Amino acid sequence: MALKDRLGKEWLFCDGGTGTILQEMGLKGGELPETWNLTRPDDIKSVARAYFDAGCNIVNTNTFGANSFKYDNVEEIVTAAVNICKEARHEAGRDGDAYVAIDIGPTGKLLAPMGDLPFNEAVRIFSEIIKAGVKAGGDLVLIETMSDSYEAKAAVIAAHESCDLPVIVTTVYDESGKLLTGGSVEGTVAMLEGLRVDAIGVNCGFGPDKMIPIVKRIAACCSLPIVVNPNAGLPRTEGNKTVFDVGPEEFSTIMKEIAGLGVHVMGGCCGTTPAHMSALIKAVSPLPFKAPVRKHGTYVTSFSECVEIGPKPVIIGERINPTGKKRFKQALRDNDVDYILTEGLKQEEAGAHILDVNVGLPEIDEPSMMENIVFKLQSVTTLPLQLDSTNIEALERGMRIYNGKPMINSVNGKKENIEAVMPLVAKYGGVLVGLPLDEDGIPETSDGRIAVAKKIYEAADEYGIPRDDIVIDGLAMTISSDSTSAIATLDTVRRIRDEYNGHSILGVSNISFGLPARELINSHFLTMAMQNGLSCAIINPCNDHMMASYRAYCALMNKDPQCLGFIGAYSEYKSDGTFGGASSGAAGAASASGSGGAKLSLSEAIERGVTGRAAEAMEENIAEGREPLEVINAELIPALDKVGQGFEKGTVFLPQLLMSADAAKAAFEVVKKAMAGKPRQVKGKVILATVKGDIHDIGKNIVKVMLENYGYDVIDLGKDVPPETIVDAAIKDDVKVVGLSALMTTTVVSMEETIKLLRVKKPDTKVVVGGAVMTQEYADQIGADAYSKDAMQTVRYCDEVFGVQS
Amino acid sequence: MPLGVSIPVSEVRRYMGFRGPVESSPETDAMISKAISSLEKDCSPKYVSRAFPVKVEGFSVYIADIVIESRALARNLAGCTECVLFAATAGPACDMLVKRASVTSSAYASCCQAAGAAAIEAYCDLINDKIKEEYEAKGLYTRPRFSPGYGDLKLSHQKDWFRLLDITKNTGVELTDSLLMVPTKSVTAVIGLSPNKLPCVKQGCEACTMSQTCAFSRKE
Repeated sequence: MALKDRLGKEWLFCDGGTGTILQEMGLKGGELPETWNLTRPDDIKSVARAYFDAGCNIVNTNTFGANSFKYDNVEEIVTAAVNICKEARHEAGRDGDAYVAIDIGPTGKLLAPMGDLPFNEAVRIFSEIIKAGVKAGGDLVLIETMSDSYEAKAAVIAAHESCDLPVIVTTVYDESGKLLTGGSVEGTVAMLEGLRVDAIGVNCGFGPDKMIPIVKRIAACCSLPIVVNPNAGLPRTEGNKTVFDVGPEEFSTIMKEIAGLGVHVMGGCCGTTPAHMSALIKAVSPLPFKAPVRKHGTYVTSFSECVEIGPKPVIIGERINPTGKKRFKQALRDNDVDYILTEGLKQEEAGAHILDVNVGLPEIDEPSMMENIVFKLQSVTTLPLQLDSTNIEALERGMRIYNGKPMINSVNGKKENIEAVMPLVAKYGGVLVGLPLDEDGIPETSDGRIAVAKKIYEAADEYGIPRDDIVIDGLAMTISSDSTSAIATLDTVRRIRDEYNGHSILGVSNISFGLPARELINSHFLTMAMQNGLSCAIINPCNDHMMASYRAYCALMNKDPQCLGFIGAYSEYKSDGTFGGASSGAAGAASASGSGGAKLSLSEAIERGVTGRAAEAMEENIAEGREPLEVINAELIPALDKVGQGFEKGTVFLPQLLMSADAAKAAFEVVKKAMAGKPRQVKGKVILATVKGDIHDIGKNIVKVMLENYGYDVIDLGKDVPPETIVDAAIKDDVKVVGLSALMTTTVVSMEETIKLLRVKKPDTKVVVGGAVMTQEYADQIGADAYSKDAMQTVRYCDEVFGVQS
Repeated sequence: MPLGVSIPVSEVRRYMGFRGPVESSPETDAMISKAISSLEKDCSPKYVSRAFPVKVEGFSVYIADIVIESRALARNLAGCTECVLFAATAGPACDMLVKRASVTSSAYASCCQAAGAAAIEAYCDLINDKIKEEYEAKGLYTRPRFSPGYGDLKLSHQKDWFRLLDITKNTGVELTDSLLMVPTKSVTAVIGLSPNKLPCVKQGCEACTMSQTCAFSRKE
């Protein structure tokens, strides 16, 4: 009988520890266990055989770490492992009711952006193991001991793209129920359910007793069969040996208790033996079995956050979107990622729960931009994202590398659109926004919209997407052209809740298009929509009126315990209507402080590093009709210079220099906004990169800010950049100066390689180097043109090369 | 899980590059306290440690199945019978905080960076004290902790630490091919254990060969 037909219908048992048993058999500290598949196959077979004999239904191949980081003969090792396990099963007489699991453990590398392993490379590495295992005849893929949801996702995608076998995933939590990378039980379960694995569980970490609270949490949210594979207690060292204290009897007693919590597959991990499994199977088999039940939660997750849709309205920030925004469009054209990230961070600080990401512009490569912005956003914010595009490829690229379960905006009722979007959601998982419009256009009445919504729900059923993961858009359209439109929208929202027990969403501000004082209409409409059951509001959370509606609604409807959220936001509210609190300090630490007293001039604000005032002073200058460039040359640059000279003399310290740089940057941002769409004057182009192998880039980032302030166009290639990438970029834009940074002696080697390659392929480019271990002597030794001990020196050097008078 | 130990402001200021008696401004003070409070809240520190017998012969140090050639470490461990290898991390939150700050404010980014460095040091001191207490009860005295990369102890020994302590699985810290640790606010070290108490051991900056040229040295 196929495993898929038995999972969740009867008790099934996994095997216990392998590594700990191999150590008993003489596996040495640094020895790779998988080599025994080739050198000591009989010993490996005896372990598997003992588990089959004990009654286990699912026995792992010895392939936990059989990846190409450790082996150059992955296929040989994996094939041998599967064959050994199959032979053991045959010899045990269990061919009819036991399964060989292709065992997949973590790579040992952290995925980018936290670490250096690109997501798609991780998928490739897992695929290699899985394909070999499938070819050799494995029955299922068991992905285990994952402590990073992102790596688990890579392994699941690899499994699904390589075979149709069942996929089981178990992860390791700490005692507070978190993965090492910060993910929660609920978030991990939601992501894995979205990826449509066949069973979800927990393994390793600690013994069965400490797993109980975690198993309870999984059982509360998981609709799939649940797997529990604990250690035989916590590992302890005795001399040079690792020992575990929980024996078979004690183990099976606690597992019996866990069996009653609503789990379906049980086994063991480190320190457990065939004796543990025998005792477990004997204790649990006679117990009544309860099949898994659907839990009906709707979750949107990031790597660490889990937002539930339903209990109270969710705020989705709308600002990452070029529609009607000149400055944002300019940022997309210039690939000015920091501007886009800043829009995201501002909304997070203002109280958004999820960020909508729309980076579509006809003249740019939207799929690449979507992938890049999703990647960059998830390295700076913990908020889940809503991927918003009509470009199917952009959606897929974003969904693939997304770390968690995203929202997808959107699908509509058109057949063609359903056929393009729903398979993606079925593959990667996600909460899908459904627009109730179809081939016949946008229905004017709620009856018409509900009919299309029904069609979308039914299509989701066909694709196996749970209805819980569908959120219907009520379609807010301006009342200035049809005065009944708000009523139709509100009716739709209410009926989705009442007739479908479903969730709804609105792009709220569309309601007031063409009217004055839009925030008044918008904020009142938001309140009305929430009162009619709105689940998700796409709004600008930086708008005080909108957030006031939201917070007041939550306080009034008992969705803000003790009104703490409301009080926290408005404790400094003035009755003249000025808003204090949450949304005012949005631009970050430096801008929140430093106010008070007489107004500073632009140059004073920069010298003292008062970001908010610097931007304001620049705005005032422009409003008075002064030419931005003249203000920059007459005020901004001299002020920066003064601070820079102080820094060089040692009277000003780095933090003060940086605060001035931030203030100047804020003033420049005002200029950029004023001049969006017009050509800029730049002194020259400079490439900056932290060299290959090095991940410390704070110094490089500081140099970037300074150079930009001094009028240079910086091509920032980021960190861990291979020599070829730097050289190609230098050739492509004919760049005169390349700045390289390295923190460690171990990575200065890459710096030297980069310089050598540049000398051959782009000899007229100058190289300036810096970083913690750098000295003038070291720089000379590796053939750099110049050494800069800090950001100011780099600016001076560039001025010299580009012949600028300072 | 919070950091469990407070981050000293003076250390943050030192890592930020302030030297000598500098007047503090409300702006920098606010920035520092914001960085400290977010780190104390968001850090998820973890550590793993394990004791091994140690033997020192000349400039060779024998721990488990490894041999380390290092004058500085041999001097540090002279007279020790055992040692504790450990790895500690402040967790991934600090790296994200720095990245996040880099987008909006380089001043705040450098402040978070400094606070992160001070955080992991404070956490290591906490573990160091625990180890010290545990072994003093058994009549063994601890030596100042020593890390791969200090003096002539080669950074390549990071690989031994990672293998012997299974650091990646136990703490979530990865060792990159270029021997850097991710999350970056992580430390590996050895603490020698000796039956004899040594008088007044120099440690930290005072014992470091780079203290004359290092920009962060604890001087004046």
